Amino acid sequence: MSIARVRPAVFLPLLALLVAGALIVPHVANRGVVFLGGVVAINVVFGIAFNLAFAKAGILSFGNAMFFAVGAYCAGYLVTQQNHLPFVVILLAAAGCGGLLALVTGLLALRRASGVYFAVITLAVGALVHVLIMKLDFLGRNDGLIGVNRPIIDFGFFDLDLARGDAYYYFIVASCALLVTLMWVLWSNRFGRSLQALKSDPMRASFLGIDIDRKRLIALVLSGSITALAGAIYAPWAQIVTPELAHWSFSTMPLLFTLLGGSAFFLGPAVGAILFGLLEYATRSLVGISDLLVGGLLLAVVLSVPGGVLGLLATLLARFRASSSPQREERA
Amino acid sequence: MAGDLITILFNAMIWAMATFLVASGLTLVFGILHVLNFSHGGFFMIGGYVAYTVLSTFGAEIPLWAYLAAALVASVAMGGTGIAVDTLVFRRLKSVDGVYVLIATYALLLVCDGVVKLIWGLNYLSVSPPRELLDVLFLGGAIMPTFSIFVVVSGVVVFLALDVVINRTSAGRILQVIAVDPWMAGIVGINVSSVYRWTVITGFALAGLAGGLLVANQSLSPDLAGIFILQAFGVVIVGGMGSVRGAFVASIFLGLVEALSATYLPNYPGVLFFATIALVLIVRPEGLLSRQATS
Amino acid sequence: MTGISRRGVIAGLGATTLAAPFINRRAFAQSGDAIRIGVVTALSGPQEFIGNFVLAGCQIAVDQINAAGGVLGRQLALEIRDDRANPAEASAAARELIGLGANLQIGTISSSVALAMGPLMTQEGGVVITCGAGTEKLNHENYNEHVFRPGDGPYMRMRAQARLMAERQPDVTSWTGLVPDHEYGRTTWAVYVDGLLQFYPEIAKADPDILDPIIVPYGAGDYRTFVTQAARSKAQGIYNSTYGGDSVTLFQQAKPFQLFKDRVLMDSANEFIVAGALKGDTPGHWTGIHWYHETNKGNPLSDQLYADYVKKTGNTQPMGWVSEAHAGIYAYAKAIEKSGKSDTDAVIAGLKGLEWDTATGKRLMRAEDNQAIKDVELIYIEAGASGPLGYKVTDYVKVDGNTVIEPPTPGEPMKLRKPS
Repeated sequence: MSIARVRPAVFLPLLALLVAGALIVPHVANRGVVFLGGVVAINVVFGIAFNLAFAKAGILSFGNAMFFAVGAYCAGYLVTQQNHLPFVVILLAAAGCGGLLALVTGLLALRRASGVYFAVITLAVGALVHVLIMKLDFLGRNDGLIGVNRPIIDFGFFDLDLARGDAYYYFIVASCALLVTLMWVLWSNRFGRSLQALKSDPMRASFLGIDIDRKRLIALVLSGSITALAGAIYAPWAQIVTPELAHWSFSTMPLLFTLLGGSAFFLGPAVGAILFGLLEYATRSLVGISDLLVGGLLLAVVLSVPGGVLGLLATLLARFRASSSPQREERA
Repeated sequence: MAGDLITILFNAMIWAMATFLVASGLTLVFGILHVLNFSHGGFFMIGGYVAYTVLSTFGAEIPLWAYLAAALVASVAMGGTGIAVDTLVFRRLKSVDGVYVLIATYALLLVCDGVVKLIWGLNYLSVSPPRELLDVLFLGGAIMPTFSIFVVVSGVVVFLALDVVINRTSAGRILQVIAVDPWMAGIVGINVSSVYRWTVITGFALAGLAGGLLVANQSLSPDLAGIFILQAFGVVIVGGMGSVRGAFVASIFLGLVEALSATYLPNYPGVLFFATIALVLIVRPEGLLSRQATS
Repeated sequence: MTGISRRGVIAGLGATTLAAPFINRRAFAQSGDAIRIGVVTALSGPQEFIGNFVLAGCQIAVDQINAAGGVLGRQLALEIRDDRANPAEASAAARELIGLGANLQIGTISSSVALAMGPLMTQEGGVVITCGAGTEKLNHENYNEHVFRPGDGPYMRMRAQARLMAERQPDVTSWTGLVPDHEYGRTTWAVYVDGLLQFYPEIAKADPDILDPIIVPYGAGDYRTFVTQAARSKAQGIYNSTYGGDSVTLFQQAKPFQLFKDRVLMDSANEFIVAGALKGDTPGHWTGIHWYHETNKGNPLSDQLYADYVKKTGNTQPMGWVSEAHAGIYAYAKAIEKSGKSDTDAVIAGLKGLEWDTATGKRLMRAEDNQAIKDVELIYIEAGASGPLGYKVTDYVKVDGNTVIEPPTPGEPMKLRKPS
């Protein structure tokens, strides 16, 4: 299954649809659902950033939680301790921290390890980050950072107070849409396609002069920074940052979204994040069986529908089209 | 001071052999099927619970033979489960990208957690060591409980048994061939699929055995899988892909790291452990004792 | 397995679940209707065990109150959510419930969740009553008027424990601790030391010798290195603040070392967790408990709570969190009656300064820092051959909370004595 670029004619309407859906939520649902909606939007970014490295560069990372946590803690710390800094600067700092961590991990590991070994290194580094976060006083140790308030963005001649009402929710929707668009550009342009080439056939790619290690490193760094940015946006939304965000079980979330939706599709993780959010919400009062449910669901998806929901839809669509008339089908 | 050194070495060996018992099955499956089975820790835990159920019929005083029998029961039970898992999961995902199997085994781990809670509940449970193993030996300044010695001996025995089977029997030679070149093995007439199945069964049986042998080593709760799983992973990876000897050496190596960490860096649990794993992987990604798989 | 029938919980909540997203605050008039109380507690994950006791306590209290006519003529209803002991999940659940009109909430066990609740409740306009969250910051530097602790604070309990030791074991003057390396562990040890430093000179007329505590990791499977260190200690008394499964593992692995032979063991908060697992191998120890039914025999609320609990679950050995939740619900009921309304500000005003009857006797909710003053309960557990439990409670005491509680200092960190 090759991953073609996603044409603007296909992507932009879909993005518009998602954004429109997100914007309606505060008008029809209660505050709790609005909160979950914000979390789902952030998860969409989390998932797609993971898939950028996974599907395009073949990098399976079990440590993406550490990027998210680093971004969240960076933003949480700066918002609570240095809140004179403009929020945009804080976000960029968080992205930088995530990118740096990804760079270090990639430099140490990508060159020598691949596949399962790399995945386990990310697991080990992630666990290391988790333990370190819990030991640092200025990060609140086990209790984490609380009171991470939603900031006021100063545009010079007017202020945008994100603490009022649902303002921060709209900020999340806007910034996530922006990040998704950014990743779409990376997915579809020359960079993304060269990544695709080296994943499908590394030997040929290197004959063509593509520096594999460098490209994969860049992919990892991009994935890490954007994940950290997602974490930074998350911190003032939840208003608390705790070490659980760095736990390895949290790293499996973007993996779950990607598989649920379909790793071969750019918007696959988005579909997965939304579906998972719906599932969690629907079962939130079915207390005590969450392990069994999540595990069972994941197992069912992997065993029967490894291409995810979108993969299933694409197969059905192809079959339908093949039976009606021979036609080239577009992939979203 | 000498008492201290002996104590550190002894504690290191207990950790090492307990972890090796858990990791042995994991290594085997990793070496032959090239699958890192996340759920291995879950089945180890279920093995422990099965042994607990068997032993609870004996009341407070558990004879040694009963303890060993319970471990055997757990082993057989898990081996049987292995058949189901192989049929339903590993075979179905054979032709798909390796990552999907990893994810499936992670999902299985969650299912194990859920099953344990459903059947045995959430309470913390404890099994006393068998009555023949309640003593303590003194060596210099070091205190060595006989049950701990039992754990160490069990680990060594299991290792020797595996080593003999793999290196000195024809079945073992077949395993080695398949580990290196399954395609060629198939051409030469070996029933690769059947060997795969038997490997899975053995791996799960080893998990169950470990669960039963270690049931009196620590408290029993649904958290048990999570505690041992990272330890076992570390050992398997550091030891080299699928090498049982490597896993044995890695267990002792990491056991020493853990013991030193607990003595000199108690405020930073796990840091030294993960740092060591990451470093070994970076410096020598094939593992400490690689080159030959399953040797 | 003890606990609530899951099917019962699921059946009761299915309808609300489906309709919930589209209900917002305006839809509930909250007058004449049931008063909804949100239960947000750990119903999965490592603290699920405790969460189940909390849920049982809430349900029993609500059933009792409704049978007696409700509050101001209105019935109480519970909305239950699982927070997985995770502040983010707890936040989401709390927000959702406030969106449904359940501005009164209860059930916080985890300290980090409790600390997160303050700013959240301020922003969303709710109140929460905790059920066992042990952080001292709750009524000190992180004091928030929307968060109430109806039971033991760490200061009260640990000092009551130190005081008991000064009274009963005046010759045991050297103490060390098994302290897990997190906030709760460190704080409980520090407070216990503070108590030793005050009460030994006062009551035992001797100066305590505080030996370096042994800091242990939590969530580990092997504590032998630390057991060996502890076995070498010269301390005559050991204070244990490791918790749950860690304690069970540690005590189990300590047995051949005879760590507790010829030593006094004081356990901070395990209630029956350790004894329930170790049974006949339980070392004799004092432990703090939120409520023990034998100690409170004769108190009609306690007797009724015990009877209802046994009837509901079949478990004859409930742990104290049942009573914390029970007392919390009763606190809400009394606060609503006192103020006449169930909206957040009215209930906060009603809770502050409230004196109400509970299964452990009368409690007073201090207005200055939202911390309740209550009797601290301690029990002595030892192995005993008779009975299926394998252990028995051979002694119990109630310590008047007024003699051990700290002065209110909302907004300020706690001040403790330190060894020189």
